[in-house]
Amino acid sequence: MLRVDDLTKTYMLGDRSVAGGVRHVSFDVAAGEFYTLLGPSGCGKTTTLRAIAGLEEPSEGRIDIDGRVVFNSATGAFVAANQRNIGMVFQSYAVWPHMTVFDNVAFPLRMSRSRRYGESDIRAKVEHTLETMGLAAFASRSAAQLSGGQQQRLSLARALVAEPRLLLLDEPLSNLDALLREQMRSELRRLQQDIGVTAIYVTHDQAEALALSDRVAVMRDGAIVQVGTPKQVYYTPADEFVATFIGRSNLLHGRIDRDVAPNTQAIVQSAIGPVICTFADSAPAAHPVLAMIRPEHLVLAPADAAPGAARGPNHFSGRIANVAFLGETTEYTVRVAETEIIVRMPAGELVGGADVTVLLPPDRTLGVSNPAAAKI
Amino acid sequence: MSSLTISGRHPLSPFGITPKVVILVLILGIGTIPPLLFLIFASVHSFNPDGSFAEMTLAHFHEIFTSRAFFTSLFNSVVYSFGSALLALAIGAAQAWLAERTDAPFRQWLYVTAIISLGIPYVLYIVAWLLFLGKAGSVNQLLAFLFGGTGPYINVNSLGGMIFIEGMLWSPLAFLLLSSVFRNADAAFEEAATMCGASLPATLRHVTFGMAQPALFALALLVFIKASESFEVPALVGLPGGTRVVTTTVYQRLTLDMPPSVGSASALGVLLLVVMAVLLHFYGRLSAQAHRFRTVTGKGFRPRVIRLGRWRYPVTVLIALIPIVVVIIPLVTIIWAALLPFYQPFSIDGLSRLRLTNFIQVLTSPSARGAVFNSLVLGAATATLVTALGAVAGWCVARRVTGGRLIDALAALPLVFPAIVLGLAYLQILVHGVALYGTLLSLILVSAVAYIPYGLRYAQLGVIQIHPELEEAAGIAGAGYPSTFVRVVLPLLVPALISCWLFVFLLAVRAMALVLLLAGPESQVVAVSLFDLWNNGPIGEVAALGFVWTVIMTFFSVAFFVLARRYQLPIG
Ligand SMILES: Nc1ncnc2c1ncn2[C@@H]1O[C@H](COP(=O)(O)OP(=O)(O)O)[C@@H](O)[C@H]1O
Ligand SMILES: [Mg+2]
Repeated sequence: MLRVDDLTKTYMLGDRSVAGGVRHVSFDVAAGEFYTLLGPSGCGKTTTLRAIAGLEEPSEGRIDIDGRVVFNSATGAFVAANQRNIGMVFQSYAVWPHMTVFDNVAFPLRMSRSRRYGESDIRAKVEHTLETMGLAAFASRSAAQLSGGQQQRLSLARALVAEPRLLLLDEPLSNLDALLREQMRSELRRLQQDIGVTAIYVTHDQAEALALSDRVAVMRDGAIVQVGTPKQVYYTPADEFVATFIGRSNLLHGRIDRDVAPNTQAIVQSAIGPVICTFADSAPAAHPVLAMIRPEHLVLAPADAAPGAARGPNHFSGRIANVAFLGETTEYTVRVAETEIIVRMPAGELVGGADVTVLLPPDRTLGVSNPAAAKI
Repeated sequence: MSSLTISGRHPLSPFGITPKVVILVLILGIGTIPPLLFLIFASVHSFNPDGSFAEMTLAHFHEIFTSRAFFTSLFNSVVYSFGSALLALAIGAAQAWLAERTDAPFRQWLYVTAIISLGIPYVLYIVAWLLFLGKAGSVNQLLAFLFGGTGPYINVNSLGGMIFIEGMLWSPLAFLLLSSVFRNADAAFEEAATMCGASLPATLRHVTFGMAQPALFALALLVFIKASESFEVPALVGLPGGTRVVTTTVYQRLTLDMPPSVGSASALGVLLLVVMAVLLHFYGRLSAQAHRFRTVTGKGFRPRVIRLGRWRYPVTVLIALIPIVVVIIPLVTIIWAALLPFYQPFSIDGLSRLRLTNFIQVLTSPSARGAVFNSLVLGAATATLVTALGAVAGWCVARRVTGGRLIDALAALPLVFPAIVLGLAYLQILVHGVALYGTLLSLILVSAVAYIPYGLRYAQLGVIQIHPELEEAAGIAGAGYPSTFVRVVLPLLVPALISCWLFVFLLAVRAMALVLLLAGPESQVVAVSLFDLWNNGPIGEVAALGFVWTVIMTFFSVAFFVLARRYQLPIG
C-alpha cells in the first residue's frame, strides 16, 4: 500500500549547514494496517509523515502510494499534496474556525478532483460522517465553538469524509487531557478497523503506540532502529535505546566468552555475576553485550524462603532499598551488589530492608550485542 | 488576599478607591470631558456678536438637516471613506500576503517602504501627489504628449483623486497591521486545505483570506473611520476642486463665514461624534472577533512559505511598483520641487535650473527653524505626557484597580473626536476661558488629550505581559505601592513605553488638523507651516522644508519599528 524507500530529507539552516530531518528511512505498510512511527521529539517522525503527505519535498528517495509513484528523486517525479488523495489529521487539529462544522467536513468533497459531488451527495456524506463521529448535533455550529475533543473528532471526520486510502495522523491525541486521550485512543482504533483505511500514526507516547498499532517503527535521530509488532518491540527490543524508550527495563552491561548463535542461550558476565540470557540474534564475543529484563518478569522471594542450597542459576541475593506502592502493582528497588534492579509484582509482604532473592528467568532475560558500548 | 485576587481586584489596592486613582480620574476627566461639553453646549446655542453664548436653540441642527450642501458633503464623505478603505486594504493585504507567506524576491523592501512612508508628514505627501498628478503635473503632461491636445486629462481635485491619495496614505499601515495577521496564522490551516485536495488559489480564497476576513473587515472599518474623520486630504485635494466632505465643511464654517459660524460647526461636530462612536463600537466588536480566531492555533507551528514558481516575475514587478508609488514618486517629486525656483514638471531642461536656494532659504529662515523647533518640542512633550499618564492609567486598567473602568472609559473618549472637531472644541475652551490660546503649551495639552488612548493601550498591553506575581512578590518583600510600581513595573515596561513614546511622537508631529485651528504666530509647527506655505507661498519652500523634516522623522520611525518588532508590540 505504502512504500517508503531510502527517504532522506535534511534542512538547510540559515548558515548553510545541513541539519535535522531524516536519513535513509525505508519501510513498507500493508493495506489496512495501523502503522506507527514512534520516537522521542525531534527524531524525524513529522518530517517523514509530511514527506508522505507531499507537504515537504524530500531530498532523496522514493515514495509509492497504492502502486503509484508520488515521489522519486531519481526521475524527479513529484505528485502535489492536493493530488495524492490522502487524509491527514494535524497535531493542532487545524479545523477552520471561520467555517461551520458542516462546511469543514464538506470541504474535501467540494474540492475533489477525482469525483464531482452534487450538493445532495455532499449533504448525505457529511451527515453520515458526522453521525459516525458523534458530531451530528453540532453541524451548524462554528468550529471555533467546539471543545478540544470535538475539534479532534471534527478533524478526523474531515480527513475521512472523502474516503482516502491512506490516513496520516500526527500526534493527534497529544493536545487532549489524559482521560479523553484513552477514550479517543480506543475509538480511533475501532474506527480504523471498521473503515479499513491504512493509517500512519505518529506519536512519542509508547503506551499509545503499543495499544493502537499493528506494527511500530521506532525512530531515533532521523533513522528507524526497529520495526515490529508491539509485542516484538516490547519483549525483544533491538538495542538499549528501544529497551529504555519503550517501557522500563533493567539493563546489565557485560561480556560473553564465545560467539553466540541466534536463538540460543549463553552466559553473560555482568556486574552482579554470571547471568544466563536468551539471544535472539547472533553476538560476537568481541563486542560488549547487554542483558535486559522487564521489571514485571523478575521474581522476588524472601531470602529465608530459599535457603542457600536451593538456589539455582540466575538467582541473586539482594536487599530491598525502596518500596513504592503503585496500585495495580508494587515496585521494589532491590540492591544487588551495588546495582539497583527494579522489580514489579503484585503487592506482598516484603518491606524495605528485607533480604531477598531475585530470580531473572533465563528465557525472559534478553541478551543483545551492544557494540556502541565499546566505543565509550 | 486570595479572595481579593479572585474578585478581580489588585491585592495592592484592596481598600476601594485610593487617592491616586481619584487624582488620575480627575486629570483624565479635566482633559476629556470639557471639550465634549463645550461642543454640545455650542451646538445648541446662538451667539452674541462678541462670540459669547446667547440663548438656547436647535436652529443649527435644523439648518444642517434642511441644507442640500450637508447631504452632498455627507455623501462625499461616505464615498471617499469607503473608496479609501477599499484601496488601502487591497494594496495592504496583497503586500502583507506576499511579504509574510511567499518567497517573493525583494519582499523585505515592502517593510522599508512602509516605515519610511510613516515619517512623511501628511501635508507633504499630499502636496507631492498634487504636484505629480495636478493640472501642470507630469502625468497630465505625459498624457497630453501621448494623446495630443492640452488636457488636463485627469483631475486630481476630485473624489477619485482624494480616494487615491488617502488610500495610498493608509496602505502602509494596512500592510503592517495585516502582516502580523498573516505572520501569526498557523500554516497547518492551509496545509489542511491542501490535504483536502484544494489548489493554491482555492486555499487562498477559502482558508487564508477566509480566516483573515474578520481582521480584514476590522481594518477596512478602521481606515473608513480614519478617512471619514480625516481633514488633510479633503482640505488640500478636495476643496480646490469644490468637493466638500463633513470635516472640511466644519473648517469652512469657521474660516470662511464672517463671523465664524461656531454654532453650526459645533452641531456638525456633534453629529460626526455620534457617527464615530457608533462606528468605533462596531470596530471594537469586529476586532475582538478577529483576535478570537488567533487563539485557535496550536502546537506544531511551522512557518511555511509558498513557492510562487512562475508567478515570481509578475510579482517582482508588483513589489518593485509599490515602493515606487508609495514613496519614490512622492519623494522624488518633492526633491525636484525643492530644487527648482519655480515649479515645473519633470523635464530635461529643468535639470539645468536646479539650485539649492530653497534649502538654504529654509535652513536660514527663522520662521522655518522656529517651526521645526516647535514641532520637536510639541512631539517630545506630548509623547512624554502621554507615556507617563498612559503607564499609570494602563496599569490601573490592566490590573483592574477599583475605578479602572472609569479610567478606561475616560481615556478612550478622545477617540470619538475627529481631529478637526477636537481642535474646534478646544478652540472654544481656550478662547472663552483659559488664557493659553495660541501658545505652544496649549498645543501640547490638546495633543496629549488626543493621544492618551494610544498611551493607555500600549501600557495596558505591556502590563498584561508582566505576571502579577512579580508585583505581589515585591509587596510581600515589603515594598509599598508606589515603590513597587517604580521598581518592578516600570523597568519591565520600558520597551513598551519607549515604543509608545515614539509612536505618539510620530503621530503628534505628523498630523495637522488637530493643531490647525489652535496654532498662533508664536506656536507655528511644521505641519501647519507646510499647509500655510502651500496655500500662500512658493512651492519650492514647502518642498524643501518638508523634505528636511521627513529626513529627521525617518530616524524616529525606524527606531520605532526596530523596537516594536523586537518586543512584538503593536504598531497601530
Ligand atoms: N523547517 C525546518 N528547518 C530546520 N530544521 C527542521 C525543520 N523541521 C524540522 N527540523 C528538524 O528536523 C528534526 C526532525 O523534526 P521533526 O520531524 O519535526 O521531529 P518529530 O516530529 O519527531 O518531533 C528536528 O531536529 C528538527 O529540529
Ligand atoms: Mg512532530
